[in-house]
This record gives sequence, structure tokens and C-alpha cells, in this order.
Amino acid sequence: MPWSEFPAPYRRAASLGGYALAAVLAGSELIILALALNPNVNADYRAYYIDRTTTCLNRDAVGSYTLGQTVSFRNDGAKQAASIKVCGWSGPAGDGTHSLGETSRLRVKIPPLRNGLTATLQMAAVIRPPQITQRVVISVNGVRAHAVTLSGKEPRMVSFVIPPAALAEADTLEIAFDYLDGIPPTPAASNIYKRSIKLVSFRLDAIETD
Amino acid sequence: MALEDVVRSNASGRLMVLAVAAVPLLFVVSGLAIRYAAFASVSEEPGFAAYARALCRWDCAWYIGISEQGYERFPIPNHSNVGRWGFFPLYPMLVAAIRVVFPFQTILVATITSIVCSYAACLVAWPLLDKNMRAYVLYCAFLLSGPFSFHFTTFLTEPLFVLLTSCVFLALKRSSYLAAGVSSALLSATRLVGVFVVFATVIQMFREHRQQGGSALSFPRWVLGRPDLLVAIFISPAGLFAYILFLYLTVGDGLAFLHIQRAFGRVAGNPLVFLWDGLSAVPTTGWLPTAPQWSALAAIAGLALSAVLAARRQYGAALFCALCIILPLITNLASMVRYVIGLAPLTMMLAVLLSVSKLSWLAALVLFLGACYFMTVAWIGGYLALV
Repeated sequence: MPWSEFPAPYRRAASLGGYALAAVLAGSELIILALALNPNVNADYRAYYIDRTTTCLNRDAVGSYTLGQTVSFRNDGAKQAASIKVCGWSGPAGDGTHSLGETSRLRVKIPPLRNGLTATLQMAAVIRPPQITQRVVISVNGVRAHAVTLSGKEPRMVSFVIPPAALAEADTLEIAFDYLDGIPPTPAASNIYKRSIKLVSFRLDAIETD
Repeated sequence: MALEDVVRSNASGRLMVLAVAAVPLLFVVSGLAIRYAAFASVSEEPGFAAYARALCRWDCAWYIGISEQGYERFPIPNHSNVGRWGFFPLYPMLVAAIRVVFPFQTILVATITSIVCSYAACLVAWPLLDKNMRAYVLYCAFLLSGPFSFHFTTFLTEPLFVLLTSCVFLALKRSSYLAAGVSSALLSATRLVGVFVVFATVIQMFREHRQQGGSALSFPRWVLGRPDLLVAIFISPAGLFAYILFLYLTVGDGLAFLHIQRAFGRVAGNPLVFLWDGLSAVPTTGWLPTAPQWSALAAIAGLALSAVLAARRQYGAALFCALCIILPLITNLASMVRYVIGLAPLTMMLAVLLSVSKLSWLAALVLFLGACYFMTVAWIGGYLALV
């Protein structure tokens, strides 16, 4: 019913009430808009969802691991591999686990170390001509540890010593894979779907020194 | 004589009311029969519950999750990147509320609620179609027994979206701005694009102002002098703002419904490029268009019908529909067919256009009923264009 149809004595009150309601609605919406433009979220959320600076949404996953043990990223090792995959991986296929996006991470709990560690990864490049190689930069606990260029569909064994700086009193090891040549499924596809490598196995060995 | 006329007029009026109520009911029954036959042809499990589950595809599972468990906080359980925040709350909330009274399986409650909403949407369409019985029959057939009737009879937001859109436009037709505002508020809590209907409200206000002899320049002052119009405008997006506040309080990000789109792989781009890419995805075998081609064609047909609405001076409905197509088109063609057929002003216009001649009306009616079977089979089979 339009305001003009209210009986005269109530028209002014109704009109004032209408203005008050409109003001409350407009004010509330402005406040909510201000809240929406200033999200109260952690750095991981912001980086993945808002700033889009990473394709790998960090999670608090830490897998248990025994040094010297080889973790399979094929179907047969799916359960243990799942516990150490933080982000940037798809589910295991028959011959390994594909990376997803521009970065992948693994995280494992490690025992106190006397000496260093050697990491051994078996991985293959994802190839779609003209892209026939994949450059991968591997960092451990934020310290650059190794860079490798993979080519060919056959898995390759990559071994490197983890820099001591990355291990200083660390009880967990976070291994990040940054892919420089990821292949999107279509030109318009999101970068979260880029494919770069297929990880087949992962192993850490303590360096023995006498 | 006069008394006889009144009696005759009352009798024919009653008959008309009965017909208006019976037509959609007939199509509810025929639609159920056709879709069930399609379901039975591909499934060995009999029964209405199995049928309802089979038709619950794609986003339906998300709405069941929201209706049963609500929204997640962050971090999302099970190390998932995809949360439910992108799916708006009103319809799953409504189903959850009804389930409190009728404690059956969620999908059963939702299926029946969807049918009721679509039936009600048909009734609301009667005055919007200017009581054109032919167009009304076709519109009811399209919603309840048509090729996309599964969208309007399973747990998706389309049934409520169509009902509320019709309510908004009916209220606007009657210049009931407060009713339009409240319906718009509910619409904006049903799907994000529902918020655009506020433009149709403002356009209708402007039209009324001009009809009363007001100038374009005096329009803002006229609106400011009418608190009922101000309330109608500011209440229209209230559903969206309520959801933003809820997300801010639970996730910490009021725009989580937008930001979560990243995890679904949606990337903003040029709508024209998406359309061209869709049209260019020619089939490798056979002659049937591919899913991207269907989606692109649906978007183009939707925009063309919006232009027809504009040509018929239904500027508010035209703008609303065009925005509802263009906004999702900015990210890609996904779900485009569903988005277009869920725009009530477009499907009503289509029904009016197809009802111009008896022949086209009959052909469309037969086509709708026949296609219902095959499209339901395609939907159950997961055909990508129907997502």
C-alpha cells in the first residue's frame, strides 16, 4: 500500500517509519559491504582464494615417515602418500600421482638428525608438444635445494642432498615443487589445473658419516 | 437478464480458475510419468525414492549437503579446497525447514518442494502472461513436463528462483513495490544474480514516474519523497547482504561465495571469447552439437530473447535477464543452458511467441513433451551441456 493511502493522522508516522527503515537497511548494507571488503582470514586462505598468488592451498597435514622407507605414489601406496601430500596433487593413477597447479608440497615428520639427508624422487615429465620438458625447482623448508629439467615420459630418479640450512633443528620437512612449465588442459583453463610432473616414489635417507 | 449474465459470468470465472489450477497439475502428473519412464529405461531400481536420487545430479549433491550439514568453516574438512560457500542458502534452508516437519529423506522432501514451487510459479505466471491460455499451457508444459523439467523438479535452485522472479515481476506489474522488494530480497538469497532484479524495480518506478508526467530529472527527488520506494530498493539486496554477513562471521570472508570460484577453476575472461570458443567446439563425429556449442547457443538465444523483451518495452525484465546471462558468462559457459531456462521472463516470452499460431503452439507442445523423455535420459546419464 503506498504511503499516500494511509489515513492522514498515521501518514506522517508511517512516512518517518519508512525513512527510518530505509536508513537502517542502507546503513546495515554499507557496514556489511565494508566488512566484506576487509576479510578476516589467514595468510593461506588469502594467498589461494583472494590474492591468487598460489595454486597450492596450504593445510596442516604432516605425514609420519621412517627414514629409508620408499613411499609409493602409485595406487599401492595411496594411503601413506595421502598423509604426506599437502596440496598440489591429484589422486594416484596407476603409474603415479600427477601434480596439479604451479606448486606442489609434501610434508613429513622427521626424527632428530645427526647428519644430513638425501632425498630421492622418482618422477616423470608431463609432455604435450611443443612443451617437451618440465623444469622443476625443489625447495626444502623454504631453502632452494635442487633444480631439475625432466624430459621424456619415462620416470627418472632424481637424488639430491638437502642443504643443512633447511634442516637446522627442524622436526618436519616441507618439500615444495615449483613448476616453471606447467601445461594447462585448455588455453582458457585455470592455472590450478596445470600439469607438470608425475611423482612415482619418494624416499629420504640419512647421510652416514664416520 | 442481468442476473443471468452475472451467474453466467461467475460460472465461467469459476471454470477459468479451475482450468488455471488444473493445467499445471496435469503437467505435474504427465511430467512425473515421462521422467519416471525415462528413469525406468536406464535404471533397474524401481520406486520414487530411487527416481528422486537418480535425478539428483551435479549441484544437487551440494544443496543436499548444505541442507543437511550447513556450511563449512575454514579450513574445509577432508583437506578439500572446494567449499559449499558458492551455493546460496535460501532454498536448502527452506528444504531443511520443511524436513523438520516431514522427516523424510532430504532428496524426497526437496523433489516435492521443487514440484510445488514450480507449480506455484505457473500460477503466478497466469497474470504475467495476460491470461493468455495458450501461452499459459505451453509455459506450464515447459516447466513441468518440458525438456528441462528435471531442473525444476529436483534439488536445484531453479524452482524457487523461477517462482520468486515471477513474484517480483507480478508485484511490479501491480506497482506493489514493497512486495517486489521482499520477493527480491528472497531472490538475492537464492542465487547471486537474483540481486540484479533491483534494476527492474527501479526501471518500473521510473516508468510509473514518467506516466504520472514526471521528468527524468525529477525522478531521484520523487523516489526520495516516497519512503516506501526507498524501502523497496534497499530491501531488495537484503538476502545477499545477509549471506555476506553470515560468511564473514563463519569463514571470515564475506565474499567467500565469489572467492571459492577459484577452487572450481572458474577464471574471468572475455564473454565473447568464451562464446566463440564454445561455438568453435565442433563435434568430431556425428552432427549433434557438442556440449560447449549447446551452452553457447543457449546464451545467444537467451540474449536474443532479452532483446525481444526490450523491443516489447519490458526493459526491466530484459536488463535483468541479460545481466543474469552475462555475469556467469564472464567466467565460462558452464551451466549456461540451466541459467537461461531458469529465467522466467525469457521462457514466458518464448511461450508467448510460440503461441502466436495454433500450429506452432501444438508443435511446441508435442516437442516439449517428447523431448522431456530423451533429455531426462541425457540428464541422468550426465550429459555435460545440462549441468
